[in-house]
Amino acid sequence: MFKHNLAYELKEVLRVKEFILWLMLFPIILGTLFKVAFGSIYSSELFDTIPVAVVKTTENEVADRMMEALTEGESPMLIATYTDEESAKQLLLDGKAEGILTIGESMELTVSRTGMIPTVLQEIVSRCKLYETVIRDAIATDPASVETVIAKLSAEVNACRDVSPAADNPDVYVQYFYNLIAMVAICGNMTGLHVSTNNQANQSLLGARKNCSATPKGIYLTTGLIGSCIAQSVSMVLCVTFLRFVLRVNFGGSLLLLYLVSILSGCLGVAFGFFIGSIGKMKHEGKSAIAITVSLALCFLSGLMMGNIKGILAVKAPWVNRINPVAIISDSFYCLNMYSDYRRFFTKIIAIVIYIAVFTVLGVLFTRRKKYASI
Amino acid sequence: MKPTVVKIDNLVKRYGELVALDHFSLEIKEGEIFGLLGPNGSGKTTTINCLLSLLSYDKGEIEVFGREMTPTSYDIKREIGVIMQNVAVLDELSVWENIDYFCGLYIADKEKRKACVEEAIKFVGLEDFVNFRPKKLSGGLLRRLNIACGIAHKPKLIILDEPTVAVDPQSRNRILEGIQELNREGATVIYTSHYMEEVEQICTRIAIMDKGRKIAEGTKDELKGMIRNTESVSIEILELPDDIREKIAHLPHVYETDYDGAKLTVRCSGGRHNLIRILAVLQEAELGFGRVYSELPTLNDVFLEITGTALRDSME
Repeated sequence: MFKHNLAYELKEVLRVKEFILWLMLFPIILGTLFKVAFGSIYSSELFDTIPVAVVKTTENEVADRMMEALTEGESPMLIATYTDEESAKQLLLDGKAEGILTIGESMELTVSRTGMIPTVLQEIVSRCKLYETVIRDAIATDPASVETVIAKLSAEVNACRDVSPAADNPDVYVQYFYNLIAMVAICGNMTGLHVSTNNQANQSLLGARKNCSATPKGIYLTTGLIGSCIAQSVSMVLCVTFLRFVLRVNFGGSLLLLYLVSILSGCLGVAFGFFIGSIGKMKHEGKSAIAITVSLALCFLSGLMMGNIKGILAVKAPWVNRINPVAIISDSFYCLNMYSDYRRFFTKIIAIVIYIAVFTVLGVLFTRRKKYASI
Repeated sequence: MKPTVVKIDNLVKRYGELVALDHFSLEIKEGEIFGLLGPNGSGKTTTINCLLSLLSYDKGEIEVFGREMTPTSYDIKREIGVIMQNVAVLDELSVWENIDYFCGLYIADKEKRKACVEEAIKFVGLEDFVNFRPKKLSGGLLRRLNIACGIAHKPKLIILDEPTVAVDPQSRNRILEGIQELNREGATVIYTSHYMEEVEQICTRIAIMDKGRKIAEGTKDELKGMIRNTESVSIEILELPDDIREKIAHLPHVYETDYDGAKLTVRCSGGRHNLIRILAVLQEAELGFGRVYSELPTLNDVFLEITGTALRDSME
């Protein structure tokens, strides 16, 4: 009977249109949209060697040394084309140069547009001017100290301390993908809610029919939950696989642990729905509305709709992030990606397992009733 | 004497202040088609739900197949088939899968189950629709699927709770014939309805319910024998002087006359030639009349005489 029930439970769940739409197609569509949106941000910020046209009007040794430093090495900042003024202008107009550096007594910049690259060029020119002033001043006052001054100027001063992340992806936008996965997981409440409704005689005709049958309630409740968890796990694995291998979102960390946390998260969604469905006598539609509202609120607090809300909550009400199951799911992905040891990750995993256990036990306690006062 | 299949003793079920079942008792023997007849809200479905151990009750005892019925009486439940008032099937499964799924709640063996499912499909005439999803079926076909899901495991006791509500006449006849056939094959049937014609047509014994109480029980002839009315004569007549009506009222066996200005209704208890006597009075008075009907009492008359309200009126 167990096998029979489980097989049909799976068949039924996987044929529900809402399930296919919300738990399989929706994350793929939303993930793709995220990738398109964030992909353009990445490409617009992508830094490459900047082509410039250089016009020398007089000899300037300091400027020459700076140009040397900027155009040589493993990853040079600039590609310089030394030319006359007319050709330089043509290169700029043709888009073959981002700016014209005119080196005379001092260094001047001509650009044809605004944007990130002209700003970078402007910053380079400003720095060069500053360095030139300092070096010229050193030559004038104490020529012996010039080498020391140049060495000091070359040394990078950084107020921040390097912390080695475990993984290779401190990408801020990947947080949206964590939240997307967490949302898919919590939306698993739809199937959990169905399990609860379809097995209680006071909630549905199917529940009444099953309660009249020769199969103990424990069997069809268990198969219902297992079937829903399997279906939800399939949708989670599909979602993560699509994001990781098709959209190439870099989640970092171990792939095996990534799938583990996805599956557990899906089970948490199912257990959450089962719990909501088991409370009170309200009809399925009402409970469904509650489950959707609560899920969306949890997703909002986790930062799906507004990226910085989680940070605000971390300062103003840190306990919200600690108890919000969606935030816990999202954090588990973050921990897997960001930390070299798995201590924090497993803390989140334990929290997810506790949530699954609590929701399931409470759900079973509320639905185990076999006789009803009214139907 | 045939063994008792269902015994309900002194059952009381309250919904707050409302008494849904008021010391209700019943005994159904093996092989019967037992009808529970009553208007909506009379307690028929509540009785069925208590019998199936779905509903808790305040007082009383219920035995099925000689054993106490509890929610965990799975051995008893294995022998019961339930067809609910409303269709309860899974929308995402096909006709075949639905029947197989519900049959699987009773029969674990796959081969045996397959044979049962095929037999049930044939029985309800859904051979051409096995791969259809329920949403693609008409109301009548859906009812038949609902029945197939309830009887596929070959239960010894079949409970049908108003299975013909909102069903076309063709499907209704097929359902009623099917119930009689199941009974012929050995199943005991409990049939609840507020359609007295159906109950009269198929039930071997009937209990009439009203306001949670059993007001009468017996075969249809026994029930009709409980009331005074044995014949109702109706005559279309446009003019009826009071003295003639008085004369008719004093004929032998006539106990009630009713005239609404167009139709005279005369109710008689016993007697063989009531119609001839009434018509003789009218002819003697040289009164013209239209169509004449003579009707034997129905279960509605039984309900009317016992409760003072017609069964049809109390459903409105």
